[in-house]
Amino acid sequence: MAREIPYIAAVQEAIRVEMERDPTVVFYGQDVAPSDEDPLVQAFGRERVRVSPISETAEIGMAVGLALAGYRPVVELLMAEFMLVAMNQVVNEAPRLRYMSGGQVKVPAVFKAGYGFTAGWAGQHTGSIYGMFMGFPGLKIALPSTPADAKGLMAAAIRDDNPVCYLINYLLVLEHGDVPEGEYVVPFGEAAVRRAGSDVTLVATGWTVGQALAAAETLAGEGIDAEVIDPRTLNPLDTATILSSVEKTGRLVIADQGTRHGGASAVIAAEVAEHGFGSLKAPIAQVTALDVTVPYSEPMEAYVLPNAEKIAVTVRQVLGEAPVAA
Amino acid sequence: MEQLDNDKLIWMFTQMLRIREFEERVKRTFEEHPGVIRGHTHLADGAEASIVGSLATMAPGDQLMATYRCHGYPIALGTDTKSIMAEIYGRKDGLCGGYGGSMHLIDPGRGFLGTSGIVGQGIPQATGVAFAAQLRGQDQVVLSFFGDGASKQGAFHESLNLASLWKLPVVYIMENNNYNVATRSEQEDANAAAGEPLSTKAAAYSMPGVTVDGTDPVAVYEAVGAASDRARAGGGPTLIESKVYRLSAHGNIIAPPGVPLHYPEHEAITVFGNREEYEAALRGDPVPRFRARLIEQGTLDPARADEITQEVRDEMDAAVKFALDDPFPEPEAAARNDYVYA
Amino acid sequence: MSSALDPAIADDLLRTMWRIRLFEERVAQLKRTLQVHGLIHLSIGGEGVAAAVCRQLRDDDAVYSGHRAHGHAIAKGAPLDRLMAELMGRESGICRGLGGSMHLVDSEHGFMGATGVVGGNLPLALGTALTQHLEGTDEVTVVFFGDGAVQAGHFNESINLATLWMLPVIFVCENNGMAEFTSREEHSTIERVSDVVAPYGFERATVNGSDVPAVYEAFAGFLQAARAGKGPYLLECVTYRRRGHYEGDPEKYRDPVAEQEWAERDPLARMTERALKEGWVDPDVAASIEREAATEIEEAVRFARDSPFPDPQIAATLVYAA
Repeated sequence: MAREIPYIAAVQEAIRVEMERDPTVVFYGQDVAPSDEDPLVQAFGRERVRVSPISETAEIGMAVGLALAGYRPVVELLMAEFMLVAMNQVVNEAPRLRYMSGGQVKVPAVFKAGYGFTAGWAGQHTGSIYGMFMGFPGLKIALPSTPADAKGLMAAAIRDDNPVCYLINYLLVLEHGDVPEGEYVVPFGEAAVRRAGSDVTLVATGWTVGQALAAAETLAGEGIDAEVIDPRTLNPLDTATILSSVEKTGRLVIADQGTRHGGASAVIAAEVAEHGFGSLKAPIAQVTALDVTVPYSEPMEAYVLPNAEKIAVTVRQVLGEAPVAA
Repeated sequence: MEQLDNDKLIWMFTQMLRIREFEERVKRTFEEHPGVIRGHTHLADGAEASIVGSLATMAPGDQLMATYRCHGYPIALGTDTKSIMAEIYGRKDGLCGGYGGSMHLIDPGRGFLGTSGIVGQGIPQATGVAFAAQLRGQDQVVLSFFGDGASKQGAFHESLNLASLWKLPVVYIMENNNYNVATRSEQEDANAAAGEPLSTKAAAYSMPGVTVDGTDPVAVYEAVGAASDRARAGGGPTLIESKVYRLSAHGNIIAPPGVPLHYPEHEAITVFGNREEYEAALRGDPVPRFRARLIEQGTLDPARADEITQEVRDEMDAAVKFALDDPFPEPEAAARNDYVYA
Repeated sequence: MSSALDPAIADDLLRTMWRIRLFEERVAQLKRTLQVHGLIHLSIGGEGVAAAVCRQLRDDDAVYSGHRAHGHAIAKGAPLDRLMAELMGRESGICRGLGGSMHLVDSEHGFMGATGVVGGNLPLALGTALTQHLEGTDEVTVVFFGDGAVQAGHFNESINLATLWMLPVIFVCENNGMAEFTSREEHSTIERVSDVVAPYGFERATVNGSDVPAVYEAFAGFLQAARAGKGPYLLECVTYRRRGHYEGDPEKYRDPVAEQEWAERDPLARMTERALKEGWVDPDVAASIEREAATEIEEAVRFARDSPFPDPQIAATLVYAA
């Protein structure tokens, strides 16, 4: 049974369902359930649901230790940039311990944070920084763009035996959507085709999925039929679905809220350039944020970010085979 | 904690000797078999009493995490020294299949949940292991080993605060050898600069801070034992400052390929020109001191001591031979996806 | 009762406190009507500490703050019109609309910056203090932070180095007993921040942040020594955070009884009462201070509203220094 609930509730629901199902799941972080009235505290008690101080290195390092010792922690980090405070634990410890031990241990931990809150939260709270995490093998990355995926990917993240950066997009938290009740898992590494089409492949992540769909609507009115693909997870990345779409359409435009350099878009573009070259009828185009710190003032903030209009303009250029502006 | 009977005391001496003989052979490998050990090794010679005295307190189910100076812990726990040496030599039957090397030993089955190569970063992980122990409710205690250099790290501060707040069953054992690589602790630590013991820091975390002579395994056993008893009873963490002197340099030299690696002299000599400090430490070497003490108090017979010594040397010679003869892993083993992902 | 203040100083302090109070209340209104955008943290309740500390500093002294920085910036001399313009995202804003509430900088007046990551400002302050120490000047550095920052690793790393190198930095902790949405006892076993630094043995004091003359006096002592090159020092000011963590925070975590304390702990009310009682200001002057502040804020709002938004293209030109 599916019913409509907001994205943010879907995330919480997944955590609750998984905590019910598996007594080794533990949830803590800054401002997690400070009140004893909180439903999670009511359901699971203060041992398994804890509030912690502003101590990212300890919070994330403890998650590694908990995982090594057989538990499955979910750590609430609030904003992706706060992970940077404890970067060593995120990229140099959690994803590397299994390998360095020759496969003896595993680190099932979920690092949960929000990103992309381009609503005036300014330069240090707004980034889409997951591109850099793609460079650390062993670390999985999930970016849900719908409430159903928010639930299903969180469940998958908790059940995964590896460290996962599970990043919700703060612009989507109040979006409503159909979400199945009970246990619901969306497997990692399976992209979703959000809209079938034949003229161009539009790959988009997180909040830009909605922008890509809006662009596709506009373009449909001009006789351009866009296929919109949401990878859902960046690691593992479902390049097969993207490549088979490009084989059909011959054109690829990638939209991502992060910067152009060192971003998810660049990785996808390179994979398709290398493995899908024969299918391409036009150069691959990327619609990303500008390579700047996100500015505070609203018109500037809007200027640096991708949006439906910029995506549509880029698609038209790619189809017209006109040079795309650098 | 249990009283130390003769058998236990002799066991402690044996483990200290095993660690010493193992580390000597690691060091000798650089001279006798150059090129066999690559990268960076860090030896526990001088810290044996602190390591063994601490591990002697462990009950079944207790766990520990350590730093990159990690050989001593699995040796004392009973991990096969052949596989440890093979790991250091990068061979396929190494403890981690050659994947980790000297700094990343691990033996989860014996409670040794691993290390971090980054100063201080194992402390929060050990704190997490203690969190798990608390959840499990089976009276486990976790020992978190780190050096004095780590006590300046934010990770130390954050972990001790949390452990104290949540009364986690962890004993934080700071092996203070007064050096952080080539820097003396009074050059980098405000407490050391003021002539204070580093256990002073415990006051910021509402936990007891104890300084103990880390060259006396019985004193360490008593201090760590008391802290473990406290943790096991739900009393929360303790910070123990165990004062040791490492008898080797921080590690072998760091150099690019082509430059032969070796162990230089201790930084007291090479950086500070203080040979007397080093020689005094040699005179206080905990291993022969403990042997002499046990013989003097009648616990250990000299002939038995010699026998043990020979057995240990044979064991470590065998470890070296095994490791030298062990083949390297297949190169393709590096790409094992089931080691990248569980 | 804390010691007397010079009437001229008391007048200045009241003026600054009213300017902060009314500015913040106006910002709260503007936020509700979406004319101020984004994540805003107000200094209501912290005016006394900001004023008492910054009144004693010069433009060449450096001040660092955290995400709750408006009060500190105002007290350090940032012009209200350019601050308001910044919050309203205008080109005439003090950071040209690029930074916003949590990233204010007014280097002309020595306000070296607010930062958005709790505790991230502490090491920055050390850097400035180190240059002051190396140059042997009588300049000092002050860093404002909250009790929540004390549990972050940056804190002990900074305290250790500041102590070891004896830097002329004054750590001013506004302990309002709350970090984001949880109270101090869920963050630490130690109630008073001054007790957390006890192992480092440097001079520190805890004062009531609502008692402005007491804050002034305590800070003055540390400042004098810091100007002579000594340090570090910690001044813990026990304050009360009047509003939620951020504007729009529903504050489900607040104890209704605590709200009653506000009346007794409002630093502005207490300072006004004391100033009047001691005769440092007379009632007419007190009223005119408030009016003048209100006028200044309205002018700031008008200035901001009349200012254009930035040309979006400047966003790409300011990434790198030339």
